[in-house]
Amino acid sequence: MNKTNPRKRPAPPSQQPPTKQALAPEDEFVDEDVFLEETLISEDEESAILRDMEQRQALAARLSKWTRPRLSQDYTSQSCSILFQQLEIDYVIGESHKELLPNSSGPAAIIRIFGVSKEGHSVCCKVHGFEPYFYISCPPGMGPDDISHFHQTLEARMREANRNSNVGRFVRRVEMVQRRSIMYYQQIKSHPFLKIVVALPTMVASCRGILDRGIQLDGLGMKSFMTYESNVLFALRFMIDCSIVGGNWIEIPAGKYKKATKSLSYCQLEFDCLYSDLISHAPEGEYSKMAPFRILSFDIECAGRKGHFPEPTQDPVIQIANLVTLQGEDQPLIRNVMTLNTCSPIVGVDVMSFDKEEEVLLAWRDFIREVDPDIIIGYNICKFDLPYLIERAAALKIAEFPILGRIRNSRVRVKDTTFSSRQYGTRESKEISIEGRVQFDLFQVMQRDYKLSSYSLNSVSAHFLSEQKEDVHHSIISDLQNGNAETRRRLAVYCLKDAYLPQRLLDKLMFVYNYVEMARVTGVPISFLLSRGQSIKVLSQLLRKAKQKNLVIPNAKQAGSEQGTFEGATVLEARAGFYEKPIATLDFASLYPSIMMAYNLCYCTLVTPENARNLNIPPESVYKTPSGETFVKSNLQKGILPEILEELLAARKRAKADLKEAKDPLVKAVLDGRQLALKISANSVYGFTGATIGQLPCLEISSSVTSYGRQMIEHTKKLVEDKFTTTNGYEHNAEVIYGDTDSVMVQFGVSAVEEAMNLGREAAEYISGTFIKPIKLEFEKIYYPYLLISKKRYAGLFWTKPDTFDKMDTKGIETVRRDNCLLVKNLVTDCLHKILIDRDVPGAVQYVKNAISDLLMNRMDLSLLVITKGLTKTGDDYEVKTAHVELAERMRKRDAATAPNVGDRVPYVIIKAAKGAKAYEKSEDPIYVLENNIPIDPQYYLENQISKPILRIFEPILKNASKELLHGSHTRSISISTPSNSGIMKFAKKQFTCIGCKALLSNGDRTLCSHCKGREAELYCKTVAQVSDLEILFGRLWTQCQECQGSLHQDVLCTSRDCPIFYRRKKAQKDMAEARVQLDRWNF
Amino acid sequence: MERVQSSYESQDEPFEIGKEMYRGQQYSQIYYARLRLMRTLLYSLVSQWKPNSPVCTVLGLEEGKECVVVGTLFKNMKLKPCILDEYSKERSVVPLVKPHNFVDDDDYLVLEDESGRVKLGGNIIVPSVYVTGIVVAIHGKETGAGDFLVQEVLEAGLPPQIEFPIKSREDRYVLLVSGLSIGSSKSNPLQFQLLVDHITGHLGDEKEQSIASQIVHVVIAGNSVEIPRGLLNGQNLASKDLSKMAEPVKELDILLNQIAAGLPLDIMPGPCDPANFSLPQQALHRCLFPGSSVYNTFRSCTNPHCFELDGIRFLGTSGQNVDDLDKYSEAKDKLDFMERTLRWRHLAPTAPNTLGCYPYTDRDPFFIQNCPHVYFVGNQEKYDTRVIKGSEGQSVRLICVPKFSENGVAVMLNLRDLECHTLSFGTQFSP
Repeated sequence: MNKTNPRKRPAPPSQQPPTKQALAPEDEFVDEDVFLEETLISEDEESAILRDMEQRQALAARLSKWTRPRLSQDYTSQSCSILFQQLEIDYVIGESHKELLPNSSGPAAIIRIFGVSKEGHSVCCKVHGFEPYFYISCPPGMGPDDISHFHQTLEARMREANRNSNVGRFVRRVEMVQRRSIMYYQQIKSHPFLKIVVALPTMVASCRGILDRGIQLDGLGMKSFMTYESNVLFALRFMIDCSIVGGNWIEIPAGKYKKATKSLSYCQLEFDCLYSDLISHAPEGEYSKMAPFRILSFDIECAGRKGHFPEPTQDPVIQIANLVTLQGEDQPLIRNVMTLNTCSPIVGVDVMSFDKEEEVLLAWRDFIREVDPDIIIGYNICKFDLPYLIERAAALKIAEFPILGRIRNSRVRVKDTTFSSRQYGTRESKEISIEGRVQFDLFQVMQRDYKLSSYSLNSVSAHFLSEQKEDVHHSIISDLQNGNAETRRRLAVYCLKDAYLPQRLLDKLMFVYNYVEMARVTGVPISFLLSRGQSIKVLSQLLRKAKQKNLVIPNAKQAGSEQGTFEGATVLEARAGFYEKPIATLDFASLYPSIMMAYNLCYCTLVTPENARNLNIPPESVYKTPSGETFVKSNLQKGILPEILEELLAARKRAKADLKEAKDPLVKAVLDGRQLALKISANSVYGFTGATIGQLPCLEISSSVTSYGRQMIEHTKKLVEDKFTTTNGYEHNAEVIYGDTDSVMVQFGVSAVEEAMNLGREAAEYISGTFIKPIKLEFEKIYYPYLLISKKRYAGLFWTKPDTFDKMDTKGIETVRRDNCLLVKNLVTDCLHKILIDRDVPGAVQYVKNAISDLLMNRMDLSLLVITKGLTKTGDDYEVKTAHVELAERMRKRDAATAPNVGDRVPYVIIKAAKGAKAYEKSEDPIYVLENNIPIDPQYYLENQISKPILRIFEPILKNASKELLHGSHTRSISISTPSNSGIMKFAKKQFTCIGCKALLSNGDRTLCSHCKGREAELYCKTVAQVSDLEILFGRLWTQCQECQGSLHQDVLCTSRDCPIFYRRKKAQKDMAEARVQLDRWNF
Repeated sequence: MERVQSSYESQDEPFEIGKEMYRGQQYSQIYYARLRLMRTLLYSLVSQWKPNSPVCTVLGLEEGKECVVVGTLFKNMKLKPCILDEYSKERSVVPLVKPHNFVDDDDYLVLEDESGRVKLGGNIIVPSVYVTGIVVAIHGKETGAGDFLVQEVLEAGLPPQIEFPIKSREDRYVLLVSGLSIGSSKSNPLQFQLLVDHITGHLGDEKEQSIASQIVHVVIAGNSVEIPRGLLNGQNLASKDLSKMAEPVKELDILLNQIAAGLPLDIMPGPCDPANFSLPQQALHRCLFPGSSVYNTFRSCTNPHCFELDGIRFLGTSGQNVDDLDKYSEAKDKLDFMERTLRWRHLAPTAPNTLGCYPYTDRDPFFIQNCPHVYFVGNQEKYDTRVIKGSEGQSVRLICVPKFSENGVAVMLNLRDLECHTLSFGTQFSP
């Protein structure tokens, strides 16, 4: 995270030399001090803005109707306490408050809490007096004198490192405290530690660096220190110490706060207070509600040049659509759109048109300031919309534009960030911080929380809202903009829809509730949930718990690879086959958390081999894990992780019980979000201990967990197969056919679902009894019938009650993989449906044969054959040539305007090419294929797409599946279309052939040869039937597109390649025209 | 005995596609043409209906201002089948049995013109009665929520009618029949032969023959044959199968041959006939009827079909328009649907939305310019008839022509007074 601010700043009163970090891993936490005065613009500029505002009086009047509710008398007279839900916490460096802290001076960190009161007032609470600190272990024999000496030495070293800083004192205090490290079981309850309090948050890191490298101490020589809790972000430190969790309610009693003399923010309530006067309410009862925060959803449109993706340096922003919703209401409060140039009115929408782009941008800024949203949402706003607006304003030299935050006259800060994670790869982007407002980019959320084949807004809304959205290609946008007020209105409607859909997604998927609850459960600010990884959530909980227990957490960055990897979860070997008897599934309920609780696995219960020898712990007080580690039992030391897990699971139980009772849908939403957050949090604790580049990896714990897991699965298998036997009086011998990480599949041999359920329950209860609490085996469901293909791949009907099945359940089967064409997905789903639900294996076989025949006969709908891949970099950057990259290059040569750009997904089909052509040369744009009748390569689809998934399904069922399905007589006839643009066709002479027998026609005959004349009735029937089928299709497809675009009187413009009917619609149009021509030949 | 003669004039021209081609045009144009036609009409009525209300477009609406807007209705239906469902993730869960009617309590109407859309509110306008594609004038005002609160609805009403010709004394009949479904398992070849024999006067005593001689015209309103569609799944057919497919057509030709030899005959295509699917369906090709088509009394017509017989105007369809209304709206009987189409002045408002239709660019052939005297719809469940009257003295005979193959009923319409009765040909005695 390099500190590069593109904007000019006054010479900063520099802190320490910025530590350059080339590639920050996902979970590197670094505080960054922001000096208040730096971000503010100068007085001259401010007056320029004010002048400017006056000129736009008319606009201001228009915007003012959307301001927040007025403050009541109680607030203005400061006679009541202020209670608000906080959403964002950050800090700035400013002069310490003279009234509240009469004894300090100089720069200090001021915590800012932004939030909303229950009446809907915006709040900015500035908290003073909280100081950054960390711990080191106190070297033995250090007395009070030594401490003051140590303090001086450290201060001197700090001054050396930060030479041009104007801070009076770097190390404020060094105190001796009694603490204990969280690592390893220790019999002594506490040791002396030194708490080092520094002046500014960034100094924690620089001080840590000095201590890591070692300092010269009198009498002790050169000594380096292990630091504790020195990697905790300042805002998080504050929250932990004040028991504040993300998104909770905070109260400041009357008289304890001071209204700011000169308000620095745009918030209605702005005041200063001491950190010790804050009252933090736990999110229970009344305080679990949500304040009516304002959520702004917006979208911008830019007019790109032909052949280029819009660039902020050149292409104007032409429209900005906004939608503001109050949390908890279904209907938006405000709907408006700002357009460049005139735009016809839109019902229910406030259309604001401007002549100059500058005015559009400034109007939007004024709108943000007036509406004062707490949360800003949108689709890909963090990567596109927001950076674009800011860079565009910079290109237009509108210096006063980027004042979008809540701090008066403070510009937004733009940082280049590199986010790299094992999951997502490395991404470069711009991080834009808008002070006091939470950014919630639905695009990021979708990528994080869901596995989808495409993340375009169109396909995401099709998936979750079952609503197709029309997609206007960016090359058309400029045409619409350059048209008239009507075409711009068209664009505005489209733009509004793009602003509306993120809000719908937010509502539908309950993101506000789920994320606020996640913040409350894990205790981190809401903004961390999206911008940071998993581990900070666990770390936050660990730190809170450790603080209660007087434990401190070392800042131990281990090089993970040293410890090597450990054996992962195991699965019992799958006995592949098609089971037509009920299969009972026994599941361990939250297996890993239960293991950690049952065996008291924790950092503080781990006994090192060395300690095991020295400490002389009785063997009955320890657990020896199957992986060979030793942990003490809870009578000696209760583990912190088990305690956290117990609380999480107990809280989840409570939330679920409350959920059952709850009536109010809003309360329900909160509770459901909470129980989900609790579940996710409980499951992520295990991962935290195993993350080798994480905050506090401890492979002893994670490998013990998995080894116990393996042992339990084996144990269960053994017990089931030993107990449920004919010798023990059961009807059949039970058989474990498969076992996964936390479940075991048993075939009891009975053929009735209900009987299997009873046996399943009996087995679960019996086996649970043999485990240490709270490990519990539960009977959950029956699979019947069950198609087990291999490990992690299976399908079956899912029964939880004896009379009817709930659904069809599949795992690891090609129904969702993104790099398959739709044909594979449909084929697999339909086959499974036929096999499992209809119990019609021959039908399924026939179905596959028909599909293969259709494919070979060129009758397949092209959209089913489209394969889509994301274009992440340009062709030169790829080392190996791949189909989609090559195609993108080729398309660029054909027409740069519509060619896919980096970041787009490239759809393609595989076409027949010359013998020996490389696979990557055979890709082609589906539209191009349609327009030019290019033959697809059915063999490719047969061999590379269909064959594997289909054989996987059929092999357990059918003998000779491959021969039967892929090489039968249905594969004999093949039809290939003749390309209309290939070289040879240019020289071919078109001559009519007989519709009946394809013989060449002569002597003026146009339809049939003399031989076929007698059959004209039947041949006509055939031709007309084809026309009729196409007409049906044509009508259905085109009216559907009218429906999507929401207008009957306007032409369909949509070019969404994600839409399943896009290619079909195009093809129907073309086929229709051809079929009509064919039919017209009969009119002799 | 000599057959009575009548003068006949075909008015099918608007329904003939001729040289129109698919050139990438979309359906927006037909809606636009419809709106333009209907708006001119409705504006002329609005001046009497609401002389004091301003007329504006959807865009021109202002909150609280009462006004009249003319626009196309769009009905949002949650049960409406959607081609995208074929692609939805849980394909297999979709029930295979589709409901007969897609009306739901949650349906709502939207009014649209070129300028925009507005949701209609209030309980004056009942969504279950209306369908997408009708053009109406609405009096109301915009509410704060952006809805348009409907206070009154104006439909175009029955179109003007040409005068009914002076009544003659003699009875002359037109015979209407539909749904012969030759080739289907339900059709009984004997039944239709009986009908043919009756028409041609080969049956019954002299009295019956004299009635038969008064039949001046026969109209076959669609679904004359049933071609096994299963054979046509795009597969390459063996020539044996192909000839099997044309078998029913040949049989039909033989029967029609007998009628056409005696009196004029109009045959309209229906959804099951070897014709195109979209409305207007084009005339069945003459090559299908090598026998009958040599007679000049044999006329292959379009569907919808419009003609004048002795100055009496007929308009009819093979049933698709009413069947589609029945799926997407509700009425107490089929005649109600027929009446509505006349009052809306549109033969097939659901085309193109749910009813296939050719994408016209400059006109809307389904707009009913002149009120017919007789309006018939083929292929209905049962025979039904009624006369409706218009505000300007128009009088229209509505007829539901039943499926002949199912109940052996044909309809006789007397041109003298437009009274109807049925002819029933049962080949089985009911117990």
